[in-house]
Amino acid sequence: MLRNHLKLSFRNLWKNRLLSSLNLLGLSIGIGGVLTLMFSVYAYYVADNMIPDQEHIYYLKTHLADGNDYNEAVYPLLDKIKSTSPEVVAGTHLHGWGNIWLEVGDNEFQKTTTYADPEFFNVFALPLKYGNHNSALNEKYSIVLTDKVSKQLFGEENPVGKSLIAADTLNLTVTGVLEPISPYSSFRLDVLMPNTILKDNIAFKNQNNWDSSFSPVFMKLRPDANIQQFENRVGQLVKENYEDPTVISRMEVIPHNNVRIDSIPVVEIIIAGNIATSIFVLLLVLVNLLNLNTSTMYRRTKDIAVRKILGGGKKGVITQFCLENGILVLLSILISGGLFFGFLLPKLNDIFGAEFGEINFSLANDYPVVIGAILLGVLVTLIVGILPTLRFISLPVSQGIKGKIDSTKGSFILRNTFIIIQFSIAILFICVAVILNSQISFMKKADLGFEREHVIVGNIDLDYKNLDAATSSFKALLNDLEANPYVTNVATSQAIPSDYYFNYTRFYDANTDRDVRLRRSFTDAGYLSTLKIPIVKGRNFSKEMDGVEERPVIINRTAMSAFGWTTIEGKRLKFKNDDFIGNPVVGVMEDFHYQDLQNAVEPLVHYYRSEDDLDKHRYLTVRVVDSKEKEVKDMIASAFSKIDSRKNYSQSDLSEKVSGQYRLMDGMLKTVNVVALLTIFISCLGMFGLISFMAKRRIKEIGIRKVLGASVLKIVVLLSKDYMILVGIAAFVAFPVAWYMMRAWLGGFAYSISIQFWMFALAGCIAFCITAFTLGIQAIKAAKANPVKSLRTE
Amino acid sequence: MLLQLRNIFKWVQQGGQRVFLLKDINLEVQEGEFISIMGPSGSGKSTLLNVIGMLDTFDEGEYDFLEESVHTLKEKYRSNLYKEYIGFVFQSYHLLDDLTVEENLEMPLLYKKIKGSERKALVADMLDRFNIVGKKDLFPTQLSGGQQQLVGVARALIANPKLILADEPTGNLNSQQSEEIMQLFKKLNEEEGVTIIQVTHSEKNAEYGSRIINLLDGRQI
Repeated sequence: MLRNHLKLSFRNLWKNRLLSSLNLLGLSIGIGGVLTLMFSVYAYYVADNMIPDQEHIYYLKTHLADGNDYNEAVYPLLDKIKSTSPEVVAGTHLHGWGNIWLEVGDNEFQKTTTYADPEFFNVFALPLKYGNHNSALNEKYSIVLTDKVSKQLFGEENPVGKSLIAADTLNLTVTGVLEPISPYSSFRLDVLMPNTILKDNIAFKNQNNWDSSFSPVFMKLRPDANIQQFENRVGQLVKENYEDPTVISRMEVIPHNNVRIDSIPVVEIIIAGNIATSIFVLLLVLVNLLNLNTSTMYRRTKDIAVRKILGGGKKGVITQFCLENGILVLLSILISGGLFFGFLLPKLNDIFGAEFGEINFSLANDYPVVIGAILLGVLVTLIVGILPTLRFISLPVSQGIKGKIDSTKGSFILRNTFIIIQFSIAILFICVAVILNSQISFMKKADLGFEREHVIVGNIDLDYKNLDAATSSFKALLNDLEANPYVTNVATSQAIPSDYYFNYTRFYDANTDRDVRLRRSFTDAGYLSTLKIPIVKGRNFSKEMDGVEERPVIINRTAMSAFGWTTIEGKRLKFKNDDFIGNPVVGVMEDFHYQDLQNAVEPLVHYYRSEDDLDKHRYLTVRVVDSKEKEVKDMIASAFSKIDSRKNYSQSDLSEKVSGQYRLMDGMLKTVNVVALLTIFISCLGMFGLISFMAKRRIKEIGIRKVLGASVLKIVVLLSKDYMILVGIAAFVAFPVAWYMMRAWLGGFAYSISIQFWMFALAGCIAFCITAFTLGIQAIKAAKANPVKSLRTE
Repeated sequence: MLLQLRNIFKWVQQGGQRVFLLKDINLEVQEGEFISIMGPSGSGKSTLLNVIGMLDTFDEGEYDFLEESVHTLKEKYRSNLYKEYIGFVFQSYHLLDDLTVEENLEMPLLYKKIKGSERKALVADMLDRFNIVGKKDLFPTQLSGGQQQLVGVARALIANPKLILADEPTGNLNSQQSEEIMQLFKKLNEEEGVTIIQVTHSEKNAEYGSRIINLLDGRQI
């Protein structure tokens, strides 16, 4: 019987090859997309699974009285907690302290260096490829590498026991190598070193007090620990020991499970988006199959009736249908697997890899995804195999045998609802894509308050080996640039638009009683003129007038109004409750967008710093004329090639840097574009199958109409009119949802476009055109058929 | 006695009025009979046949089939009953287009859960008997109407039914093909004792039967 079913299934699929291949195509693409999205969600959720006992690990969050918070605490706090709290099993700091250069043989690498207590592995028992948990960080001059770094430094061999030179002076011994860590994990480290090594560092000694909060604290607590009680005790310790406990409102003890969402909230949005998209696409695929299968069932009513007369039961009909769909689904899972490995996963890494790390698939770890895909396939098969048959198998035989199915309202409403849902989702995605597109191009093209074209940006933060020699070479370069006819302006600065530090300081003006948080940066005298940022009040910095004694500042217009000033005459930036006379404000610059347009222009202050202060500036900015970027770039690069430094000089155009701010958003846009295309494609596949079936069903009607004189056009309209109306309804369902969603999304931007009518019109138009095209092909084919053939009795 | 209908009524509601499809039908069929049901279009011939075949229900009256009272049986038992004892032949053959001739013949046996070897034997036997061995791998659409109906009759016979119900079996056939099919029926009836009830328009075909029942507007006349 089963063999019979199988044989029949293949025969049926082959008989309807067009429909079958359409189904297969839609399914493969849909499942491939879902697989990719679900895999990235899965990779995210299991990323921290390699940490044993994660549920018992907690970290501290400091809440300040002014409402801000951070995950750091003062360094001595952990020892205090450990000595007073029996519930702590183990605890460790985990912080950076500058990234040091590691030397193996002739090779030098700069790696993200994380410092931890010897107890680190008691808290986070990360699996080690080589080495021993208990002793890895005990010795002062030891270092633990990640697998990636180990391979880079030592190749495939076991490096434990080997030594390397750190920061030119320290001789470190490798004591362990970690197993590979998922890029989605909360651990972003290259090398681990024991805290004890920092105890010699003078800057560290200065910070090791009850005032500077710089070190995140992680603790493993006993399973029976009362967290609330523990949190209160920590709060008490803070009150008793901190130098200024008034600035702290409370200490929070947070489960380590929350650390990733806590630190990068956008991840949660992306993950939620992924899940929602997967469900949408899955729904779409499901609806599509249901729709097509319902149509197929119509054709098979007679078939089913005959089988029933011959003695077949309902079970046989369902088995047969499930088998057919199962074959399709299985095939498409295989195809989508190929699609996933060959195209979608590399594409995903392409878009999000740089921001979140690349993910790879390994069967040993990721078999749940495979199992999930198969279960999903079975579920889809059962739904699409059983649901459409239910209506038909209970049809009375005497009706079915005549091929008569009363096309009752019920089925029409059901199928039409399917179509509306499908197209609503598709149009929704198109709307999102259109609006996303407009917003991004708005941000990229917006007037930023400075001129970004024809500006070269060089990164001069290079770890010079001999600073004096480098500085004099740099001075010579600056002179050469001034003399170069292609160069109009030159500037050096700590920051450039798109890369300002998050360096805030509070200033206070007693006259207006305003307390203002200013973002700080350092520039030379040429910065504003190079970027063509106008001065609205006062003057620019000047090399001659602005010596080192009294460091003058220029603030932006927003800062001026924040202080409530109308003039800067005699104004100085002062701290509250401080005797320091303050920095004189010599000028006010026009507001410019030094960060992306998602954020508002905040009050900003530039401090003067001489242009040849090479190791404190990070950027060299050069404005050139006549598009002579290449010549000038070559000249600067050749100058830097003669300067001895650890890092290599790199340069690009300011406009690139500005667009680069939207890289992640570009990635999102690409994804949405693909999804939008996918959904409309899948919807149209369904539509295509449906109308070809409808045309077949109405073949007699079409013939009669043609004999009575209907034109091809009239018949095309007749066949597709209803569907176009459905697409229209779908559009009106999708528009308000899209409007609501995108308004919420745009609300997150300080500068955003307003949603216009034309965007919806465009989205609707796209959907309409694609649908009309799909419908048209089939409808014309049906309409052109010779009525003599179709009217011939069977 | 094979079956007995007593005071069978069947109607549909149309615009608040009962339209009778069958009105007070009384019929007794003995085993081995060959009955022709005749009457103009819309007189209820096919409906009567469907009622006898238990494919359709009736609204009033009693129906006994092999001592079982069909009108009191549940749907499931009723279908078991007709699967066991009744074979159907249709005007438009109703062969399964996706199956070959051989597979079409095999289908009823599959549903009866007859073993593979026995199935093969029965099918081969039937192909032989109807002289269609050479056609066994063809699909119905590749056959002429007469040949298709031959397969249809063979399929109805393969499960060895007591009664064959034929709804205008020659309606789509030319006169020569009709002749062949009717000869076949006659032979089956006379030589193998299969009871046959056929619906027909043709006086000539009706003559093959031993008894003619005339219907007009749902009534026996």
